Amino acid sequence: MLARLFRKNQSGIAIAAVVLFLGFSLFTDSFLTPYNLFNISRDLAFYALIGLGQAVVMAIGGMNVSLGAIGGLATTIVGILITKAGASNAIPALGAVGVGIACGAFNGFFITRFRINDFIVTLATSFIFTGINYGLSRGFPYTNMPASITFIGRGSLFGLPYLFWIALAIMGFAYFFFTYTITGRYILATGSNLNAARLSGVKTSRMRVVSHILSGFIAALTGFFYVSRMGSAQPATGQNWLIISFSVAVIGGTSLNGGVISALGLFLGGIIMVMIKNGLVLVNANVYFEQAFIGTIILAVVTLDGLRLSKRLNA
Amino acid sequence: MNKLCIAFCIVAALAAGSGFAQTQSPGSASGGKEYKLAWYFPIPHPFGEAVQQGVKAFEKDMGIAVKQQIGVEMTQDSENNSIEALAAQNYRGFLVYPVDPSGANGLYQELAAHKVAVVNFGTSTVLPTPASFAVATDVKAAARTATENLIRLMGDKGNIINVLEVLADANTVLRKQGVEEVVAAHPGVKIIQEVGDMSTIEEASQKLESAISANLGKADGIICTGYTTTVAAVQVLKELSAKTPGKKIALIGIDDDPIVLDAIRTGAINGGTIAQNPSGMGYIGCALLRMLSDGYAPKQGAYFINSGTVFVTKSNVDAYKKDLDEVTKSILASLKDKYFNDK
Repeated sequence: MLARLFRKNQSGIAIAAVVLFLGFSLFTDSFLTPYNLFNISRDLAFYALIGLGQAVVMAIGGMNVSLGAIGGLATTIVGILITKAGASNAIPALGAVGVGIACGAFNGFFITRFRINDFIVTLATSFIFTGINYGLSRGFPYTNMPASITFIGRGSLFGLPYLFWIALAIMGFAYFFFTYTITGRYILATGSNLNAARLSGVKTSRMRVVSHILSGFIAALTGFFYVSRMGSAQPATGQNWLIISFSVAVIGGTSLNGGVISALGLFLGGIIMVMIKNGLVLVNANVYFEQAFIGTIILAVVTLDGLRLSKRLNA
Repeated sequence: MNKLCIAFCIVAALAAGSGFAQTQSPGSASGGKEYKLAWYFPIPHPFGEAVQQGVKAFEKDMGIAVKQQIGVEMTQDSENNSIEALAAQNYRGFLVYPVDPSGANGLYQELAAHKVAVVNFGTSTVLPTPASFAVATDVKAAARTATENLIRLMGDKGNIINVLEVLADANTVLRKQGVEEVVAAHPGVKIIQEVGDMSTIEEASQKLESAISANLGKADGIICTGYTTTVAAVQVLKELSAKTPGKKIALIGIDDDPIVLDAIRTGAINGGTIAQNPSGMGYIGCALLRMLSDGYAPKQGAYFINSGTVFVTKSNVDAYKKDLDEVTKSILASLKDKYFNDK
């Protein structure tokens, strides 16, 4: 039975996640405290969403370098809508999401209409979106977010933050979308083999635009969630998302060549990244060597998964 | 459709190249003398904006226009490109925030070869440097002041979490030394954890929450010697106090971000912040460039000018800027005698 479990997709990273969980639980008495579990499950929500934002374009064989820039711009829009326009309740969220969708559509339009590589277009638009962000905010944060916004990022249900449950629901939807909907399957088919998908009648350009719109939507939503968590809208939000997004997506089993995405894998990838970062602080690791520890653990995790895959192929 | 796209590209390029360019006031004359001074900050940022206020005040007071340019990227390469472009427009004095304290010296050497004066603000370049002056906070002294105030707040006993920011920054080492020296002088106080390597508020919040988790009930105070970590610490402690009322972990941070000031004003955090004097850096930096342009030579060994700090608590949160202005005035009053030879 164990061998069968070991052959399942994501079992390698699931085992790694369990090992890390047990390790940090044993080596520090702070890991399983309610305060820590609340915080890491909230961080997990952010990591999983950021990973998903990248994975939806990786699934089609592309990438979105502007993911963080979209998140940052959406954050500023939320700040402006609340502090300058006096908007409340759902309007700031809708404004952020609207901006994310528009940015994603802008990326998708240039990529498909002019047949330019995703990397080039999103690199360029990352500057555009960041420029608009700083032009609007001049780098200043928007403060004093109302409780109607912050309760999402700070409240909890059954001891775990709302954001955790929201991220779980979004991952569930992502699983459903890529497994059971025609658009989801078309995106994976396009990412797996562009020419075969096109010859099979899939409107591949449209699928690329859809995946970028989804990516922009998720980035903006995550930006909004950051505002709700921090209680302020920081224009610098998203600056560190690029590495997180690729790390979570790739550790979670999303193929860099397209055609493969796993909601469960993204969640596990997020868990691993968050546990490593949290655990190293809990065990009081030397701050100057911290990056080396992070790199070593990530390498160990992907090596474990690689070994499992090669064993499965040889079986 | 293609024509439409070409038209869009042309309009976009023209708009980017002209209408949105962040350029203000070219060099101008004062009392018959032509000054060509420029101020540069790498990215739009509250700190840069505060320095710029000082530059603008100098312009207004002296009637000397200073070109103000904000870059797009926090890289030395981008800074080099922008300043070289300004130098090509014959600007003769630069007030610059050096992104890379070592790498900026290469740029300054080229400027010095063309007899262009440079004054650093915010931080110093690695010595020896072609820059004539650096107007900045003495970061080690500021870290010492912050730590002394934190220990006082803790009643001279307890455990501290020392929060560093960017480890690759040479100033981080000085701040760390400042904190550790003060703690070493107080036997009842101990640093129980050090966290670092944070460049964004998101990252800093995550690590601070982890550090607090690891030391919940043990930590009595947090010292943050960076802007990003201070803002994050305020948010994290505010949330912690809301969840676990009772004893508050004391916090001393740096800089006067509105989030930090608001938390001090309302008593949401137990502590204060060390306010730097960015506006003074801008004003004093321009005054130095003016004197250099007037032909004054810096005194031997005169290089670093501590722009000063003020410790902000609930009692002076609405008045501390006046104290900073006084610091600026006192530095300006002694500028010529203390830092320059007679002509």
